Amino acid sequence: MSIDTVLLYFFVVAALAGGVLMLVAQHPMRVALALIAVMLSLAGVYAMLGVHAVAVFQVLIYVGAVMVFMVYVIMLLDVRDPSFVVRYGRLLVPGVALGTLLAAALGLGMAQLRVTPAAAGVEAPSYLVRPFSQEFLQQYWLHFELTSVLLVAAVVAAIAVIKSGRRQDG
Amino acid sequence: MTPTMNLLTVIVLLPLAGFVLNGLLGRRLGPTFVSVVGCGLPILAFLATLEAFSTLQLAGPDAALVEHAYQWAAVGNQSFDVAFYFDRLSAVMTLIVTGVGSLIHVYSTGYMKGDASYARYFAYLNLFLFFMLTLVLGRSLLVCFVGWEGVGLASYLLIGFWFEDPAKAAAGKKAFITNRIGDAGFLLGLFLLYHVLGTLNMDEINAAFGGPVAPAVSASLVGVLLFIGATGKSAQIPLHVWLPDAMAGPTPVSALIHAATMVTAGVYLVARMHGIYEHAPLASQVVAVIGVMTAFFAATIAVVQTDIKKVLAYSTVSQLGLMFVALGVGAYGVAVFHVYTHAFFKACLFLGAGSVIHALGGEQDIRRMGGLARRIPVTFVTFAIATAAIAGIPPLAGFFSKDEILWFAFASGYGGSTLLWVVGSATALMTSFYMFRLLWLTFLTPSRMSHEVEHHVHESPWSMTGVLVVLAFLSAVGGFVHVPEFLEPVLPLATARESLEHYEHTLVYVAVAVAVAGFLAATWLYRGGLAKGDALAARFPRLHRMLGGKYFIDELYDAVLGRPLHWVSDRVFLRAGDRFVIDGTLHGLAATTRRVAGRLGRIETGQLQWYVTMAVLGIVGCLAWVWRHV
Amino acid sequence: MADLQVLLWLSFVLFGIGLVGVMVRRNALVMLMCMELMLNAVILALVVFSLRTATLSGTVLVFLIFVVAAAEIAIAIPIVLMLSRQKRSLDVEGYDSLKG
Repeated sequence: MSIDTVLLYFFVVAALAGGVLMLVAQHPMRVALALIAVMLSLAGVYAMLGVHAVAVFQVLIYVGAVMVFMVYVIMLLDVRDPSFVVRYGRLLVPGVALGTLLAAALGLGMAQLRVTPAAAGVEAPSYLVRPFSQEFLQQYWLHFELTSVLLVAAVVAAIAVIKSGRRQDG
Repeated sequence: MTPTMNLLTVIVLLPLAGFVLNGLLGRRLGPTFVSVVGCGLPILAFLATLEAFSTLQLAGPDAALVEHAYQWAAVGNQSFDVAFYFDRLSAVMTLIVTGVGSLIHVYSTGYMKGDASYARYFAYLNLFLFFMLTLVLGRSLLVCFVGWEGVGLASYLLIGFWFEDPAKAAAGKKAFITNRIGDAGFLLGLFLLYHVLGTLNMDEINAAFGGPVAPAVSASLVGVLLFIGATGKSAQIPLHVWLPDAMAGPTPVSALIHAATMVTAGVYLVARMHGIYEHAPLASQVVAVIGVMTAFFAATIAVVQTDIKKVLAYSTVSQLGLMFVALGVGAYGVAVFHVYTHAFFKACLFLGAGSVIHALGGEQDIRRMGGLARRIPVTFVTFAIATAAIAGIPPLAGFFSKDEILWFAFASGYGGSTLLWVVGSATALMTSFYMFRLLWLTFLTPSRMSHEVEHHVHESPWSMTGVLVVLAFLSAVGGFVHVPEFLEPVLPLATARESLEHYEHTLVYVAVAVAVAGFLAATWLYRGGLAKGDALAARFPRLHRMLGGKYFIDELYDAVLGRPLHWVSDRVFLRAGDRFVIDGTLHGLAATTRRVAGRLGRIETGQLQWYVTMAVLGIVGCLAWVWRHV
Repeated sequence: MADLQVLLWLSFVLFGIGLVGVMVRRNALVMLMCMELMLNAVILALVVFSLRTATLSGTVLVFLIFVVAAAEIAIAIPIVLMLSRQKRSLDVEGYDSLKG
């Protein structure tokens, strides 16, 4: 067993552990830290798989931007209410039951699914950052540009939400 | 031949222009404008008719002016045209319609003065003239039918002119609906003719029936169907019930539409389609029998009526019956002759009655009149002349036409019989009687008016009396125009049986004797007022009640048709169908929905996580279903 | 590579954890984070499929999901802020105005 495989399974187990931690941790901050652990583990998985571009952006965007934002909000909000003490809502039992049911239903499909490696002779494209970026901006430039529209819409929406909230407060 | 300009189209369109102008602008521009437009355009139409008439006279006795105005529709290689046809028959009718029509328009300016809806009145009146001219000038039966329906519409609008009164609005509705029944017959006849002949042009239909190869359709069937239409419009048994009620309209309307012109449309139709009836002895017999029954029964009802306009209305029904007798025995020209004289004296009588009502401030009951001869002398004199004319006193107009009708009823080689003559003469006797009764009770007996009414009695303005004088004059001399002979080139006259010809003079004497007898009887009974007449009525109470109740025809229709229909509508359609089945279904659906919604509404808690759970439940359900089915 | 099968199972399990978390956790921010976890699980699945088919389109889709995630969080956080300011609470059981 090569060191690569060992590292890969390590990251898999770490991600799994982080996920379980997210379900059981009490304080939101701990949940956030667990989520960051999951994300970093997944970035490691991607790196192990050779998909470096995704790994880099997983760290930059998710951990660097989204989760920092989240942690910042958790620290900012100076509220204390039962949700910080009691972990679960009253839907715990039906929620878990349903989750299990869904897992069973999906797992049934998963069990039949055999993910085999790509056929021999087909040359896999390189997932390094440079070739990936070139390919991305040559072939998918239109989609890339369209996402900017989505971002603009999100910015406008965020501003609108804040403004309407201010007005409500008076 | 075609006239140099579209004269016939102009005649038809002039009143339409009046309708549009008065209808749109009349209220804004005031009564003077309305009067000028409302009377001026019909008079112009009359002058145009005279012009067309002189052209026709130059063209020869059996010529016809045909004017193609507009192609209405083209279906395949068939074309439906709006074309106008002007021969001697339509000429006589058009002259009556525009001439008497114009006079009555002028009269109306006096009669309707100050009415709140003055402009609307003249708009309707002009509309009526437009449709009536379409009716008599249309070459195609289809165009004629448009006019036919149109005059029905105008009649409906004018009967219900004072629609604030529910009884008057109901009278308008009754006229309209009764006419629909007749129209159904007319339409069926139209379909049949078109199906067989492929044309609706009247001259071509007449030619086809007179041609060497008989059309593959029973002339009697077509004749009876068209006659059903005529019974509706011309108020013959069994569709006569609407005309007396139609007196709810303004009196000039009664004169124009329900006496002089529209109700004679049925007579015109039958005369126009004489080509069919000449080959349909059976249908002709039906026409004659219905005509004479109507004439007789309407006359008996008129004898006991006490409303001045109702007497005249039943008299109109009766006279129309006589016209149909003439049509039924093949004397088409004579029928039109009676239409022509009747237009004068009946219009004069109605307008005279209008003048009386006007003078008395709305009173219509002859039991509360009397002694008006000195108070309103012009009205009295003209009314008396017209009365004598309708009664058949020589040498006034009614004498000639009625005498000819009775002569042909007796001696025509095409269905004449002694029985027709006897019943017709009895009708003439009653006509004379009830008309002179009316004259006595209204004008000559001592006054029975209330003091207040009597105080206000006044002669009508010159616009009304002038028209009365003109019409009285025409009633007096109109009979000297020999209309049947004039029309003979286009309307063949049945020949009298030779064996009966020597009776002709005898019959004239009998007719005169009958008229005078009626006069004497009325004088004897009513010279002193109501007493003798009431005594007579008291001796025959059942007969009197039956006549006063108009043979209870309305009640019969109500019991046989109205009430069952009402019962079915109410019980089956309204209560069972509408309220129970339809409403019940909808209400049930609504209640079920509301109940289910009430239950389901509890699911909607507002809890975000509950919604997520429901969504996941749905996904699981979908997956389970998919797994089962792949 | 049997690894891909294992990674797909990982993605599946993380997605399930995230979904259950959304359903049962009371704290609004924790709910949001569980949704992020679900998104991550999906990204993982996409990467696995991209590798399996030896094409780039899966990874391109991953980038688009990054953008969507950023946009989502940019709106979701202000909404949570507004809610907490209005209700003085992050307890989702206290939010019940989402009904007719």
